[in-house]
Amino acid sequence: MNLLKSYFLPRLSQWLITILIGVTVTFILPRLLPTDPVERTLSTLSSLQTMDPRAVESLKEALEDLYGLGGSPFEQYINYWKRLIRGDLGPSLSAFPTPVIEIIGAGLPWTVGLLTCTIFISWILGIVLGTLAGYLPKKLWCQIMDKIFISIYPIPYYILALILVMAFCYHFQVFPLVGGASGKPEISWSYLSSILWHSFLPATSLIVGSTAFRFIMAKALTSTIIASDYVNYAETAGLSRWRIVLFYVIRNTLLPQATDLGLSIGGIFSGTVITEIVFSYPGIGYSLYMGLLQADFNLILGITVFSIVGIATAALLVDLSYPLLDPRVRYK
Amino acid sequence: MQNRSKLIILLGLVGINIILLTACKDRANTTESTPSSKSQLPVDLPRQDILVVDQIFRYSVVENFNLWMPGIPSPTRQGLIMDSLWYIDQETGQQINALSTASPRYNKDFTQMTVKLRSGVYWSDGVEFTADDLVFTVNNLKSNPGMLWSTELELFVKEVKKIDNYTVIFELKDSNPRFHYQFTIRYNGVWMQPKHVWQNVEDPMTFKFNPPVSLGAYEYADSDPSGYWELFKRRKDWERATPGILTGKPGPPYIMSVFYGDSGRKAMAITRHELDMVQNVDYEAFQAILKKTPTARSWYKEFPWAYPNEQSARYFGFNLGSETVFSNKDVRWALTLALDIVDLQTEYIGGVARVTAIPHPASPPQMELYHTPLESWLKELQIEIEDGIFYRPYDDAVPKKIAAWAQKQGHSMPSSDEELRLLFGTGWWKHDPKIAERLLLKNGFTRNTNGEWLTPDGELWTIKMIVAPDEVEIYRLAIGAQDQWADFGLKLEIETLQRDPYYNRNLMGEFEAISSWSNASDGDATADKWKAIFGLHSQFYTPNGKSTATTGSTNTLRVKSKEMDQIIDELDQIHPEDDRVVELGREFMKLWVENMFSIITISFKNFTTVDQYYWTGFPTNENPFVQPLYWFGGGRFTFQNVAPAAGNTPKQ
Amino acid sequence: MKIIKDLFKYHLSFRFGAIILLLIFLLATLSFFSPYEAAKRRVVPKNEAPSFDHIFGTTSLGQDVFWILTFAIRNTLIIAGLAVLIGRSIAVILGSFSGYVGGTTDRILQSIVDSFIVIPRLPLLILISFVLKGELNFLHLALILGFLDIAWPSKRYRSQILSLREQEFTYTAVFSGMNTFKIILKEHFPFFIPYLLADAVSGFLWAIGIEITLAVLGLCDLTTPTIGTMIYWGNYYQALLMQRLWVLAAPVITSIFIVVGFYLISTSLSEYLDPRTRLKRLGTRE
Repeated sequence: MNLLKSYFLPRLSQWLITILIGVTVTFILPRLLPTDPVERTLSTLSSLQTMDPRAVESLKEALEDLYGLGGSPFEQYINYWKRLIRGDLGPSLSAFPTPVIEIIGAGLPWTVGLLTCTIFISWILGIVLGTLAGYLPKKLWCQIMDKIFISIYPIPYYILALILVMAFCYHFQVFPLVGGASGKPEISWSYLSSILWHSFLPATSLIVGSTAFRFIMAKALTSTIIASDYVNYAETAGLSRWRIVLFYVIRNTLLPQATDLGLSIGGIFSGTVITEIVFSYPGIGYSLYMGLLQADFNLILGITVFSIVGIATAALLVDLSYPLLDPRVRYK
Repeated sequence: MQNRSKLIILLGLVGINIILLTACKDRANTTESTPSSKSQLPVDLPRQDILVVDQIFRYSVVENFNLWMPGIPSPTRQGLIMDSLWYIDQETGQQINALSTASPRYNKDFTQMTVKLRSGVYWSDGVEFTADDLVFTVNNLKSNPGMLWSTELELFVKEVKKIDNYTVIFELKDSNPRFHYQFTIRYNGVWMQPKHVWQNVEDPMTFKFNPPVSLGAYEYADSDPSGYWELFKRRKDWERATPGILTGKPGPPYIMSVFYGDSGRKAMAITRHELDMVQNVDYEAFQAILKKTPTARSWYKEFPWAYPNEQSARYFGFNLGSETVFSNKDVRWALTLALDIVDLQTEYIGGVARVTAIPHPASPPQMELYHTPLESWLKELQIEIEDGIFYRPYDDAVPKKIAAWAQKQGHSMPSSDEELRLLFGTGWWKHDPKIAERLLLKNGFTRNTNGEWLTPDGELWTIKMIVAPDEVEIYRLAIGAQDQWADFGLKLEIETLQRDPYYNRNLMGEFEAISSWSNASDGDATADKWKAIFGLHSQFYTPNGKSTATTGSTNTLRVKSKEMDQIIDELDQIHPEDDRVVELGREFMKLWVENMFSIITISFKNFTTVDQYYWTGFPTNENPFVQPLYWFGGGRFTFQNVAPAAGNTPKQ
Repeated sequence: MKIIKDLFKYHLSFRFGAIILLLIFLLATLSFFSPYEAAKRRVVPKNEAPSFDHIFGTTSLGQDVFWILTFAIRNTLIIAGLAVLIGRSIAVILGSFSGYVGGTTDRILQSIVDSFIVIPRLPLLILISFVLKGELNFLHLALILGFLDIAWPSKRYRSQILSLREQEFTYTAVFSGMNTFKIILKEHFPFFIPYLLADAVSGFLWAIGIEITLAVLGLCDLTTPTIGTMIYWGNYYQALLMQRLWVLAAPVITSIFIVVGFYLISTSLSEYLDPRTRLKRLGTRE
């Protein structure tokens, strides 16, 4: 009981407060945008079909009614929370009356799938390689790896993605130009393998940069540990290199690395706009971007709520796992 | 020892990076690109059965065919599954009678319109299209404000009556000689709803109309849940839909719209033969396509390639809503004369558009109605430089000068004046900085010791212009103006904005100068200027600080002119096929030009590109029988004329 | 100062990094002597490949890539440098304070920091640039970027502090009567600084990367030359498709050099400062 009170409760309340603040800020910010959704719809319509000017006023009123933008901001805020608790994210304003949850549902699995895999792969790869390089700085292959990663890391993601597309979709026409998969969505080898095929380039582009970053971080962290007593002792005691690296070195660098992993996982809900644009890959990053461009309050809030809850929960879980990772951590 | 090896390795790696980047160079000089062994379209159908077209943007809403709701994507799909009474072909300007068999018949004072419908047209589920559908559609839309055309129909229609299965009469609330414009498709208009489906729908706004019961020659087959593509299949009874009836051709077995990405990616797709028709690519991407894909072409086979007949034009505008230096007509003329249109059109645009001095698109039918007849007036037009001293600013040698530039680039040019005017426009204003200088001096401007202009207040003259760089032409024109006006001695500051802040500031009037398009220079492929200028009337005038989108005004430049109002008032009252329409159109253009309310520069151009590897039958300059704008409602006829290329044998 | 000289003489990494950085700064200062103004176009022939007259070639607008690059380096260094300075300073103060004080204060501070983290940064930046209706010059940009990069680093620093706090030598110092401030400064900072330096490099890179992303999406002031806007304009005129790679290669390779330079300096400096590796080096010196 005491454990619950002194340990879990404060962290849980932190989690709740974070979400509360996050949602409120995201509620307020888009309303600072100079365009409002009704105006946006009207201006799109007038550019396409030359609405008869005499009909515009009544359409504007009808839309304001429909979009639910009447009432003071505070009333809208309360209404929003009421709906949110019921799991109703409201209708998208730019694609009225399509529910926001539908738009998210179409893209979310792709983003989550792609980013979860790439984050994990690059995390593991980066830490293992980086720790090795930090532990054995004199080995030639470690030095080569160091140089390779340090020169790949600064290449702007956008350029890296573009180069991959140019090389493998244009000059060597190997990979497809659009989409997440081919054929009907079903549990079959052809469909599943097409997912892997379509995601190969985008995943590669994401993994390369993240692994490089993770590598550099791991190497830096390792370099602060290699001279410590317990490592010296382990070496003197004749423990195998691998054991030392895995159980002594890596474990002691885990705290900040785990924090990063947790926060990265939480961050996947905001998607990667650039990846989707450059590779024409499905996901919610582009939906969020278009939502911002079109002042679609509900869509922006809907996607960001996922992100907020995702990251807050990840941070909570990471915080709770600190004592597991590093037994020396104790709290006042 | 190891330090040196570190150095070598680092240098080597950087070198590899450089090599990698440059290794993206073309391997040898491939004269013909070989198609990929396996076409990687996301659907499992034989490639030669599918016509792949550019979807233009990624759909954020999928599997929703309720095109009567704003926010549901319309391009391309509307031509494939929707239909309405009449069409105006955007290339030829001809009226096409689709669901109606004749032009609308009005009574004497335009308060009643009679429509005759076509028999033998069937929905894709076998039910015949009749007057019931038309009447139902109108009443259904009227009772659902928020749906498209609802407010217009409510505004104009008192009652709509079915006389017999193929005759409908509209009783209008007020005299409206252009009521039929609601049902005349240029881009879109009132699409017909199948009564037998919609009458049972509880909430028409949330109804997805999926699968859509089609009145076009195609029906919906499949789509990508992420909005990247949509597939349509030819109806088995395609001869019972108006495109089939009117053209007698079957069209491709499948039509698929795909969004590949930006110009660069579309160019890649064309080179891989995975894209047959493209709405637009930018100049450089088009050059890359020409180099690598010999079966691809745009409107003209050779320079200037691009499709020049879309019904709009580009302009430089000034905010006239408040008292500024631009409120003075002389200043606007001075800025015009300080520009060199030949330099703008060639060095910055690449020579691929027609110039136009009047606010109207320069397509061949329009040039016959407006540009050419107005030329004598334009040549005689005089502006007053100083008291009693007049000057004629019009230059009809512009097309020849552009042709000279083109020849220097290595393109062969026709010799006749007529042909040059068809390529480059009829003429524009002279490039005369000396006259411009005199105009400014007359109005209190002065030059400082550096040759820079000072306003009558003595301040250094700087103009701020807003531009959206992803609308490529207006950006390139703006930097051209920046360079030319800098030579003239005034500083133009360009503010680059994303589309939405750009639109927003334009509509709100929060700008000093703008590089933009449309506004007064729109056309609708007919002789009628009403659609473009009705919104400029002062009854809708919206001052700076309030968005014109909320009032219906199109007068983003905030022009105030009593003569303009008079022209619009008269035009509004007469039938669009009245002879007076053209006269009023010309009067409007003369008024605009005399006052130089905005500086119209070039007519629209699109690199609407087609690849003739699998398909042929596209309209081109040699055979401009239908509009190439397939994403408009009239695109239904464009699609219907597409046939397999020689050597392509579709399986169906 | 003597330290710098010694490092330069004896440590190859440092020497190499210092040379690269000096070159970069030299290029940046060259921008003040550019024969062409940054904003002027059509001053040289268009689309020319690198040659003796124009070492890095020319752009589609008739500008010399080399001289534009000097402006770009200058502006990007200013933006990223300012952003990192502002951001990391605040993050260090915030993270260390939170980590050392602990308890409810820590809890409250972390809630606030977390609410910054949970909001995805790129969409936030896009939103801000729209709200400002595009009046985002590069000094504003640096400030905003700095503020946006506080949350994650401060969390990282806090976790470092937390584990340092529980180390043996900390307890030793406490029991020996060292006051808290001295402990922080003398015992913890030497461990902390290497991590801080490496992290600062990543912050620098994030700032450059975000600036490029923003530029590529067309959201910042595209008329000032920066690495990001050079890439934007390169793509705008389809450099890759038209095989005019020099326009893109120049800014990309430069950004690689900038980061490599900073990285080498920071690792060599941290190696020097870290008391444990210093010992190791002493022991294994030939």
